[in-house]
Amino acid sequence: MQWSQLKGRKVVSTATADNVGKVSGFVLDPATRSVVALVLKKTESGSVVRWGDLLAVGTDAVTVADTTVIVEPDETLEALAGKRGAVLKKLVLDDAGQALGKVTDLDLDPDTGSLRELLLDGRTVTGDRLLGVGSYAVVVRTD
Amino acid sequence: MRTSEVTALPVVTLAGDDVAQVKDIAFSGDGGAVAGFTLAGRGLFSGPLKTGLLWSKVVGLGPDAVMITDESALDPVDDVRGAAASADGSGSGGNVLGDQVLTDGGTDLGRVVDVIVQFDNGSSACDVVGYEIEASEHLAAKVSNASNGTRLLVPLPDTLAVSGEHLMVPASAEGFVSGDLAGFGAAVSAFRAQLGTPGEGV
Repeated sequence: MQWSQLKGRKVVSTATADNVGKVSGFVLDPATRSVVALVLKKTESGSVVRWGDLLAVGTDAVTVADTTVIVEPDETLEALAGKRGAVLKKLVLDDAGQALGKVTDLDLDPDTGSLRELLLDGRTVTGDRLLGVGSYAVVVRTD
Repeated sequence: MRTSEVTALPVVTLAGDDVAQVKDIAFSGDGGAVAGFTLAGRGLFSGPLKTGLLWSKVVGLGPDAVMITDESALDPVDDVRGAAASADGSGSGGNVLGDQVLTDGGTDLGRVVDVIVQFDNGSSACDVVGYEIEASEHLAAKVSNASNGTRLLVPLPDTLAVSGEHLMVPASAEGFVSGDLAGFGAAVSAFRAQLGTPGEGV
């Protein structure tokens, strides 16, 4: 599942069947090479939901049990979110110091949130090559 | 790659943060290898840093960045200067730009405008394999499509004598002069093989 398809998807509570938000961003943890939380907008309270608190990531909606899982980011998430942790449009460097391009999209496992592939202009980099995401670049292992 | 292309490259950790940029390259005392880099802060107006980067701490050197594990790879800049100074205190510290390249036969080949380094991932040293020179009249006459001042690449033996003014190469180096970087690695290997020094594959 590509991030560009997930973005903008509505978030629905299964307890009330209400729209409780809209997916607007994600928080990627380079250490586990997976998306650990989704950033939401148009919520009543809170702005993130942890991947583990999602009931399902469906083709038309993301479901959660109720609004209690929509929370404010804690320190760990705060550190991973923000400009430094952003991945899209960031330069990709391999560990030999060669630039590979800029990230245009991600391919995620809809069940676990793990990063399957980074999509760059004209090429893809498998998620297991990811080494780090920093202020300057996304660093991947040389192929 | 040309060392002029290394200057101003960002120094990036494997976590993706740019912690510095290359200010200058320090060569080991005999000029045969890169000892390390002096660093400047990132950004237009940041000055030199008190930390430097020893070559042994470099994870990767490419056209777009110098890669290090993390910020702990940076050492005091004096350590880099120390590694660059030769053991007996002689040598030019590798500053060869502008030096005249003379063959041991006494022919002027031209003046150094850039230094060519090469390193294979996995090898320990970043070897200086050649110089880019502005060709002298004598050399230009021998190379097709070259005129006085054309930039040409001269391969180097593993070791050579350097003073502040001159740089001595074997006369046979003339035969391995090359016009572009693409075929230069092969020219260096062939030249060193012919000298009987262990050449490096490309």
